[in-house]
Amino acid sequence: MPQQVKRLISAFAVFIVLFLIMRQVLTPSSFGELGHFRAKAIQENMVRELRYAGSVNCSKCHEDIRANKAQGPHAQLKCEVCHGPGMKHALYAGQFTNGQLPDSLVLYKPGERKDCAICHQLNAARIKIQFDTINHTMIHQIDAMKHNLADTDTNIEFKCIECHNPHQP
Amino acid sequence: MENHIQDLYEVLSKVEGYVYPNEIELNWSILIVLYPYITGLVAGAFILASLERIFKLRILKPTYGLALLTALSFMLVATLPLVSHLGKPMRAYEIMITPHLSSAMAIFGFVYLWYLMVVLLLEIWFDYRRDLVLWAIEAKGFKRFIYKALSLWTTDISPKSVALDDKLGYIVTVIGVPSAFLLHGYVGFIFGSIKANPWWSTVLMPVIFLFSAMVSGIALVMFIYIILNKIRKQTIDMACLDMIAKYLFYFLIIDFALEGLDQIHRIYEAEESFEALHTMVFGKLFFTLFIMQGLLGTVVPLLTLGTLQFYTPREKIRKPIYLIVSSLILVGIFFMRWNVVIGGQLFSKSFYGYTSYKIGLIGAEGYLMAFIWLIVPFIILSFLLWLLPPWKKIDVDHEI
Amino acid sequence: MKNKSAISRRDFFKAGTIIVGGIAVTTALTPVDGLLFATERPAGKGKWYGIGIDIDKCIGCGKCANACKKENNVPQEPFYFRSWVEQYTIKNDGTIIVESPNGGIDGFKQSVPSEEIFKSFFVPKMCNHCAKSPCVQVCPVGATFETAEGIVLVDENYCIGCRYCVQACPYGCRYIHPVKKTVDKCTLCFHRLEKGLQPACFEICPTEARIFGDLNDPGSKLNYFLKNHTCMVIKPHLNTGSKLFYNALSPEVR
Repeated sequence: MPQQVKRLISAFAVFIVLFLIMRQVLTPSSFGELGHFRAKAIQENMVRELRYAGSVNCSKCHEDIRANKAQGPHAQLKCEVCHGPGMKHALYAGQFTNGQLPDSLVLYKPGERKDCAICHQLNAARIKIQFDTINHTMIHQIDAMKHNLADTDTNIEFKCIECHNPHQP
Repeated sequence: MENHIQDLYEVLSKVEGYVYPNEIELNWSILIVLYPYITGLVAGAFILASLERIFKLRILKPTYGLALLTALSFMLVATLPLVSHLGKPMRAYEIMITPHLSSAMAIFGFVYLWYLMVVLLLEIWFDYRRDLVLWAIEAKGFKRFIYKALSLWTTDISPKSVALDDKLGYIVTVIGVPSAFLLHGYVGFIFGSIKANPWWSTVLMPVIFLFSAMVSGIALVMFIYIILNKIRKQTIDMACLDMIAKYLFYFLIIDFALEGLDQIHRIYEAEESFEALHTMVFGKLFFTLFIMQGLLGTVVPLLTLGTLQFYTPREKIRKPIYLIVSSLILVGIFFMRWNVVIGGQLFSKSFYGYTSYKIGLIGAEGYLMAFIWLIVPFIILSFLLWLLPPWKKIDVDHEI
Repeated sequence: MKNKSAISRRDFFKAGTIIVGGIAVTTALTPVDGLLFATERPAGKGKWYGIGIDIDKCIGCGKCANACKKENNVPQEPFYFRSWVEQYTIKNDGTIIVESPNGGIDGFKQSVPSEEIFKSFFVPKMCNHCAKSPCVQVCPVGATFETAEGIVLVDENYCIGCRYCVQACPYGCRYIHPVKKTVDKCTLCFHRLEKGLQPACFEICPTEARIFGDLNDPGSKLNYFLKNHTCMVIKPHLNTGSKLFYNALSPEVR
């Protein structure tokens, strides 16, 4: 065989063998078991901290509030919609029987006008919403800039919760 | 990260209409504009070399070695803008070990490796082997070792052996032509196969990319040949240059026709995305598309080269014309890539709005970095021209 | 004599190249079913998750987008969303205005006076968990995939951050995490599903505008929703096999 062909074949052979070895070494162990991906990634996607608990878990301690809410239009509203993620609170707040919770476990209590306005602000896109098909009620909407905005004497803004109990509006 | 977020707020303030929130940030930057540009230069320079070798255009002989070395210099740099753009560049090897075969991008590793090792390096090796052996004998010290290593320690330079080199080199070039098409065509396919993006999704995309690549590569060799001979104070072979200009003209016509066809088709069918694209083309993309790519990069060179087919002015005038025309084309094809890559991301996939591209001077994806990636191949080329000077080769007429 | 052997050697090389090339090409073609991506969904009796959204019920409160960001640690800046809400306002003169200020998390304002409005509604958006997902098709390394239950996930320890999948998604659901530098997207709260909990956005929706369920289960809420409403997917002409079905989807929505 001519000299240059011999040299070339050996050079390429070395390169290809090295490549195959590197491929073997570098391919992750679980790759290809379930498809063209690392099967371990499915497990890795499962491992994550849960933040939202679900209302069922809130009622375990706050049944009275749930019962109160169940009478009114906010009946099916989940607690965490207004109060934010409650998993940590649900898991650990029960230990603090004296009612003094550390800051990290305190849930947000919406009381500002903007908190209610986020659902109830008058908006042309909301007018026709009927979510209760039995009673055909629509979501009550107000213009937050006009509806009882502020005390006419002191000019301090009224909070919605001063007149409306959020659990029993 | 803070700077990056600052930039994004600035982009947000410039959003027109509505874009999906995740579309505010442009994903593929100037580095991704560079990659098809550089591989295009490689493919084009190689095609010019193969015109001499396979299609027997002997008149192009003075640029044969230069074209190959140019292709190699740019090939060595081609991956760098890509890898530096990745979110996780240290994982770039994964493309080689677990390529997902349904992805056009996955082919990249292998096509690149194939083209670099089997086509470019082999062809240059077969072309230079005899000279490497002879230069090794003349040289001393470390340079001697380099030449010996490059020749893979072969010593046989008998006529029979050299004839074999010639034959094998020819075969490699024959394989190299479709390989060059694959190297750059697949980049066009990467864009052309994205059904989500109507600016990219067209059957013509790989073909357009290919022909603009050939245009840019030929222009590059022309440009370097003129500059190099000026530096080395050598006479330019005008017959060679005239022939290059002729082929540049032919390929430019085809490229222009293809791009024109793509746009005419888009305008005629006026599909769902048409109004949004139309606004973008006449708005944000007007300067880079009509002025830089269209007028300066295509129409002016076409008219000039076309005129030169009928009327041949003196060499003293033709040389600077060729220099200017090749520079204009190089700039124009860069903007063609820009218009494809950046243009495809400026409009929202909701067809309701537009974002903008914020690019800085410094930074990993800034103008400076892009400029550096464009300069490095020239530095490599200078080194290669010093190590393997084509004009010092023992001239041999390729027998096949 | 020399010419004869030269020709035959040339022929040998040519023939050899063609044969070897042909073998190489045909062997490379065997995994070609990777190219034929848009095929049927995997047959099976297991779960096959889908999503339903009732545009008639969405009040645009943005709590879903908010809950998603909180549950999944999505960066707070307005450039990264796994789920967001859009407000469509179609004016009497036919102009269409689409807005999504911070993805809807801070709520919406009515931007056009009521007398000029022809129609207005909210559209929540999220990953469609396509059955023939173009994002999975284009990933060069296999860092994104669809599970057997029909959820498209990302392997953030393998993703190289090339952004090809972000370009390929017709719905704009993917983004590059600014810190991790890998791609991120809705996982249907995969970590909640295996504990029997609903994804955060479905859990939180105050009007039950979002429905989540098993398409393979004839009694599921989702199948009930699909049977009793006229549902459509966004961009059906792209044949992505989207499993996000909207009720009352208007043609302006893209």
